[in-house]
Amino acid sequence: MRILVVEDEPDLLRSIAQALREEGYAVDTAANGEDGLFNAENTNYDAVVLDVMMPKLDGWEVLSRLRKTKKTPVLMLTARDQSRDRVKGLDTGADDYVVKPFDLEELFARLRALIRRSANQTRSVIEIGNVKIDIAARTVVHAGEAVPLTAREYALLEYLALHRGEVVTRTTLYEHLFDEDDSTLSNLLDVHVSNLRKKLGAEFITTRRGHGYCIE
Amino acid sequence: MLDVLIVKIFNSIRWRLQIWYGLILVTVLAGFGFTAYQLERGRQFRRIDDELQRRVSAVASALRQPPRNRGPNGPEDRPFDGPPSEDQPPGRPGPEQPFSDRPPPRQFGRGPGEFHLQPQHAALFDESDTNGFYYVVWLRNDQELARSTNAPAHVPQPARTRAPLRGEAPGPQSPQQRNQFRESVMAMPPGDMILVGHSIQPEMTELHRTAWKLAGVGGIILLLGLAGGWWLASRAIRPIEDISATAVKISAGDLSQRINIGETESELGRLASVLNSTFARLDAAFAQQQQFTSDAAHELRTPVSVMLTQTQTALNRERSAEQYRETVESCQRAAQRMRRLIESLLELAHLDAGQQQMKQMRFDLGQTARDCAELLKPLADERGVKIICDVPSLDCVGDPERLAQVINNFLTNAIHYNTEDGQVRISGTSENGATLLTVSDTGMGIAAEDLPRVSDRFYRADASRSSGNAGLGLAISKAIVEAHGGTIEVASELGVGTAFTLRLPNREG
Repeated sequence: MRILVVEDEPDLLRSIAQALREEGYAVDTAANGEDGLFNAENTNYDAVVLDVMMPKLDGWEVLSRLRKTKKTPVLMLTARDQSRDRVKGLDTGADDYVVKPFDLEELFARLRALIRRSANQTRSVIEIGNVKIDIAARTVVHAGEAVPLTAREYALLEYLALHRGEVVTRTTLYEHLFDEDDSTLSNLLDVHVSNLRKKLGAEFITTRRGHGYCIE
Repeated sequence: MLDVLIVKIFNSIRWRLQIWYGLILVTVLAGFGFTAYQLERGRQFRRIDDELQRRVSAVASALRQPPRNRGPNGPEDRPFDGPPSEDQPPGRPGPEQPFSDRPPPRQFGRGPGEFHLQPQHAALFDESDTNGFYYVVWLRNDQELARSTNAPAHVPQPARTRAPLRGEAPGPQSPQQRNQFRESVMAMPPGDMILVGHSIQPEMTELHRTAWKLAGVGGIILLLGLAGGWWLASRAIRPIEDISATAVKISAGDLSQRINIGETESELGRLASVLNSTFARLDAAFAQQQQFTSDAAHELRTPVSVMLTQTQTALNRERSAEQYRETVESCQRAAQRMRRLIESLLELAHLDAGQQQMKQMRFDLGQTARDCAELLKPLADERGVKIICDVPSLDCVGDPERLAQVINNFLTNAIHYNTEDGQVRISGTSENGATLLTVSDTGMGIAAEDLPRVSDRFYRADASRSSGNAGLGLAISKAIVEAHGGTIEVASELGVGTAFTLRLPNREG
């Protein structure tokens, strides 16, 4: 899952990005509205965390411009909890909002819910055969036993599970699993796929040659 | 319950108006009714008295007539005005007209029953009517000579008065009231008494009816008047009630309410206008206060967010000493930012409350400006900004530390919002009674529509929080300068630069 964080307070930006990375997300950052809008328009993020009060372009403006081209789920960070601000945000096309100061756990939970909803998945547990993926707890159980996964492996599994039945191209996977700072070695993806097959069974992920990967 | 109601009524202007109005109306109506009644009563009594007078004259003329059974020159003939004596038989002078000076005809005696009204006068006494006029005539020996049949049973003989002397016109005494009768008495020479009376029962009944009619009409007028008064009072009070209703809503917290003013020129209209403008000012002040509180909270949210996310991230797992150090440093920055904000807020609050005493001492503002420039030179160098300080000696009176704070704020802003290789120029003059100090920069400038807002609390040119200042500096400077009786003037052009001028009035220190 790849997330863009747009926030003008450097310390806050850094700590949110770090926390999200530790949660297994690929994270891009932008320190102002203009950069944020550019990134959001040119990359298919799974979600955008957008601060409202920013220099140059404020959050509302970024959101309304982004909505002309993209349906990327957007979570607004507002410093005002007055309901007219919330209404304005939701009307402009924000999918959710978090009021500062917030708990990281709440931010994570809301992001997970946003991503799940945008994949038309309403429950937080996905069952595929004898594999159970708990998106909220980020745990995977195979045949009744917990399977230890690295953050990247989990992210790959979650993305494929959320897009179950679809053939996901390698490009898409690269776009959603690695942020702009990652060195995108072409075989990194194959390593993660093969690790997942070892842990969950060889038939769990099928390869469509020339197209991509798929969980049936 | 009742006393509460009474207190309520007496506290109500409308009721008080109504009560006064009612009292005045009752007084006027009572005065009018009483006068009308008195006039009517007087008219009735005068009519009765005139009638009595006529009849007394009639009886008197009958008495002057010689009795039918005696000749005009009878043996008891004697002068009219002889001194009366008890043993003398009754005798009568008999002038044809009562008020004539003619020598009276000869007198003659008269016995009981020898009295007859002249025919043309008999009609004046309708003896069948018990309420009609009656007469009683007494001779001078107190013997009753005649009485009309309709006279009441006991008519007391009036006290004998002196008969008129010669040359004195015999006239009836003014009528007297005896119970329900009105009676006129006339003494005739030589000592006869005539009493003509009339029951005033019908007149009194009539007068009572008139009184009731007057009372009835008065009552109706009073009711109409009270109703009209209530209507007028309601009309007069309605604007006050509007005002009071609006004030109630405002005191309940809805400051956006205004009084609906129909007529602006009336006294109440003007009052309502004044109140409306007061409400508007209150509303604005309240909104400003709310905005200020909201802004202050907003400013505190960002550093708190930083501390929360930093600490939560750090505590998620074991970190290296370096990572912990970064977290702690970041938290320290956030805490310092909050401290600065809190200090600024407290300072503003003190300035607002007028608790900050400004010193009043004579000092050189030019020297202060040079010291400030020296102090901020490292910051300017860091940003590649050059400070040109061209200030003469400026003698002024005030608080040097506080004014240095203002100049520091000007300079910090000028450096902060300047371009790379930009300039900050400090200049100063003294002109007719005021000291001026200007700090101008070659920065980005401020848009004309933003100029009036630059010294607003939490105003920042770029809506950014990352610069670390909360946007309170100019607000504090403005408060300090205003406490000195001075002003801050701003001139700016986009892309060219901004100039802040501190203007202090010269005061004797």
